[in-house]
Amino acid sequence: MLDALRYEWTRLTTLRSTYWLSGIGVLAALAIPVIAGFAVSDQPLDQTTAAAGLNGGAAFGIPFLAVFMAIIGIFATGHEYRHGTIQPTLTALPQRSRLILAKILVVSGVTVAVTVLSLALNALTLLIFWGDVPGLFEDPLRSALIGYVVYTLIYTLTGLGLGLLFRGVPSALVVIFLAPLIIENLIFGLSFLPAADWLVPVVRFLPFSSGARLMAVDLTAMTGPGMPDFDYFGRWGSGAVFAVFAAVVIAAAWTLFKKRDA
Amino acid sequence: MITAKGLYKRYRKTVAVDHLSFDVRPGVVTGFLGPNGSGKSTTMRLMLGLDHGEGETLFDGESFTDIRRPMNKVGTLLEAKPFHPTRSARNHLRMLASANGIGDKRVDEVMELVGLATVKRKKPKGYSLGMAQRLGLAQALLGDPGILLLDEPTNGLDPHGIHWMRDMLKHLAAEGRTIFVSSHLLSEMQLMADELVVIGRGTMLFNGVVDQFVREFTQSTVVVRSPSAAAFTTALEGAGAQVAQGKDGELVVSGMEIGAVGHLAFTEHVELAELSTRSASLEEAFMSATGAAEEFVAAEPLAAVPAASAPSTHASSTSTGGADHA
Repeated sequence: MLDALRYEWTRLTTLRSTYWLSGIGVLAALAIPVIAGFAVSDQPLDQTTAAAGLNGGAAFGIPFLAVFMAIIGIFATGHEYRHGTIQPTLTALPQRSRLILAKILVVSGVTVAVTVLSLALNALTLLIFWGDVPGLFEDPLRSALIGYVVYTLIYTLTGLGLGLLFRGVPSALVVIFLAPLIIENLIFGLSFLPAADWLVPVVRFLPFSSGARLMAVDLTAMTGPGMPDFDYFGRWGSGAVFAVFAAVVIAAAWTLFKKRDA
Repeated sequence: MITAKGLYKRYRKTVAVDHLSFDVRPGVVTGFLGPNGSGKSTTMRLMLGLDHGEGETLFDGESFTDIRRPMNKVGTLLEAKPFHPTRSARNHLRMLASANGIGDKRVDEVMELVGLATVKRKKPKGYSLGMAQRLGLAQALLGDPGILLLDEPTNGLDPHGIHWMRDMLKHLAAEGRTIFVSSHLLSEMQLMADELVVIGRGTMLFNGVVDQFVREFTQSTVVVRSPSAAAFTTALEGAGAQVAQGKDGELVVSGMEIGAVGHLAFTEHVELAELSTRSASLEEAFMSATGAAEEFVAAEPLAAVPAASAPSTHASSTSTGGADHA
């Protein structure tokens, strides 16, 4: 297994795209606290603003870092097929399960490290502008930040699974962007219509939307008067929905990878 | 030693490899021949576990997927350019080496060996096909393996490169390694290979030494030059031989051994200027062996030429080199 880990580490670190994708992700996430710092640093820093500053606005807009790390995940498997390197890879390391496990472990390790680095840089930025980040190590901010790391990790592993499932990059990119941005938003929006109220119980099982609850400071934000009762799971329950989705994608891809011709 | 048993692969309705069994011995270069689409690459992929099918291949008694650090035992070259375009050639080899406990020093050694030391930090997307083949060979040699499995390694190489590759493989075989190499360059294979595995439409056509293949699939002829060619032709035909006239006026005799031709000339009092045997080339043997097993058959070039512009007579088909006068 150590050989497989060494291989994957060398593969990942000898690609320029690993550096520029993670770099752009970190910088995009850093832009949020920098902009907030210039715009509203004269106002007190509440926990919701602090969370948005720390995770680069991942819970409100596009989870920049998660998206860029997911592309690294897609490249981890999709590039092997796109450039035909799956052949030399499997002649150097023919134990397929060991190879996939190594990819999951190394990409996960790098994702967690980059996400924690991004959090640290963003926290430093908030400290520079506000002088303090209140409640950083207390709930709910602490749980939201841990949730952010878990969310980014699951997002990345979903990308890795999709790259392996589709044996290429373009299809995996389409799915990982279309699913959360279009399909899930469409289902969520339609569930408000009385004619489509049968979608209401489905909403809490939408993987990317559920996963986003991992990063929420206020878990009641998506409930209230005039809204359907989605009966969301809690933070970690919602995270589990996302994790199960990623696990199903990876399990399907893994099984097919063992059965398919290289 | 490579032992392949019952290799079988089917794509929907097409049987690509049909129960192939053969041995590849160490110390010699074994050529792997077959027409386009005959299943050579699929066979190699099956042997390495890249494709799933039936049968078993053992490399010194071990299945490829069971070998820990396989590059140290089996070196492979399958595709011409299986490289990430932006990873340097050296890093490509370092990546594969890291899975097999091979150090960076060896990476530099093989780059030097294949003549790519000066461009080792360049990205392979800028490599010519010949340079990519050299990098592929460097990859195969990375673990200093006892067995080499190479699919069309001379593709894209210039004449110097082909000569270098031939010498390299013969040298490696002389060291006692097992070399299994496919190629379309039959003249090269004739110079390089000691033994052959020949397939057509996924089935075995021949497995043995090159000379035996040529003998089995072609007919040796006897070449005769004589001032009394016309009279001797009659005598030869009377004795049951088939006689054709060569382009330089020589008689090309088939169906009779050289000794019998000489004896007939003696008994008929015919003066001879030349009496020799002409062996067929590997290419002729290959064409004879695989003629019925071609998967993709192109139209004859002359058939595509309009009748008005076609030459009035067909050029006679002649042997394409490799003629060996005894």
